[in-house]
Amino acid sequence: MLIALGVLIFVNPGAALDEMIGASASALELCIELCAVYAVWLGLLEIVDKSGLGAKLAKLLRPIIKKLFRIDNQEIEKMIALNMSANMLGLGNAATPMGIKAMQALDDGSGTATFPMIMLIVVNATSIQLLPSTVISLRSNAGSVDPADIILPSLLATLVTTTIGISLVLLCDLIKRKLTKRKIK
Amino acid sequence: MSIYILPVLFILIFMYGFIKKVNTYDTFVKGAKGAIDLVVSIFPFIACIMIAVTLLRVSGVTEYLARLLSPLFSFLGIPPELCELVLLRPFTGSGSFALLDDVLVTYGPDSYISRCACVILGCSETIFYVTTVYFSQTKVKKLLYAIPCALIASIFGAIVACLLCRII
Repeated sequence: MLIALGVLIFVNPGAALDEMIGASASALELCIELCAVYAVWLGLLEIVDKSGLGAKLAKLLRPIIKKLFRIDNQEIEKMIALNMSANMLGLGNAATPMGIKAMQALDDGSGTATFPMIMLIVVNATSIQLLPSTVISLRSNAGSVDPADIILPSLLATLVTTTIGISLVLLCDLIKRKLTKRKIK
Repeated sequence: MSIYILPVLFILIFMYGFIKKVNTYDTFVKGAKGAIDLVVSIFPFIACIMIAVTLLRVSGVTEYLARLLSPLFSFLGIPPELCELVLLRPFTGSGSFALLDDVLVTYGPDSYISRCACVILGCSETIFYVTTVYFSQTKVKKLLYAIPCALIASIFGAIVACLLCRII
């Protein structure tokens, strides 16, 4: 940010403040939009939670979540299950509130990210998307003959990203634990 | 077909709520109320990252970086025209979709470059944005290996995406 601002002073100093305020305004716009989206999804999620559907979903995904995140806490498992399901449906914005809540619950106050937190971030940041709907609609707007022919390669590529992401986290965790063990010795 | 999935999902969940004797109206309102608090608490983080990204773009730093890195990208099999897209993708969703639109118009929606761009966007996420927002409500300051892992995975994803576009 500082570098960019520095460069901007040489290139176009008059634009700096305008651009920053403009960006802040679009952040506000995005937040208002997000607020609308979150209201719908959080409302629905509350029903999912109260009706016991969330617990059922968590039970279904429990074996995977338990292995992947190495946690044993039903409340957090439920949030992660909802977060992952929303992500797979391509509803990144619906997944966010659940992800934030799971993060808060996982926070141990030590100031350092723990293994399940990192795993959650990487799973979200390399998320499996079954249907890249925005891309497809942009493509059909541009006049593509077959806008949906990118679904298959996207699906394969997204599987690759998620697999690599998860393996890297496991690998880093292994290295980290080896290093701390050596320190103790 | 896919346009029915979400409305049906809503109906099913509401019906399940009725069966389980949940007061759906009150519960929905209670949940929706949380949206305002959530957005208020994440706004400063979103504003900050958007200001940084805008400055990077307007100042031409990303363009310069893209030019600098383009030999590396072509070595990895990613078309150099997509450098800026790959660089901006981890930071901004709306920004990268705007860039994708440019690519689609410039090179034609069915060209190899456009298809690569589509798949790259389809298999990646706004890593820095997600990380900022998710960690915004925690005390965590040290992220350890979280971001490198996600970034490396995405780069591999982009390489695979371009490869797949050549085959499929």
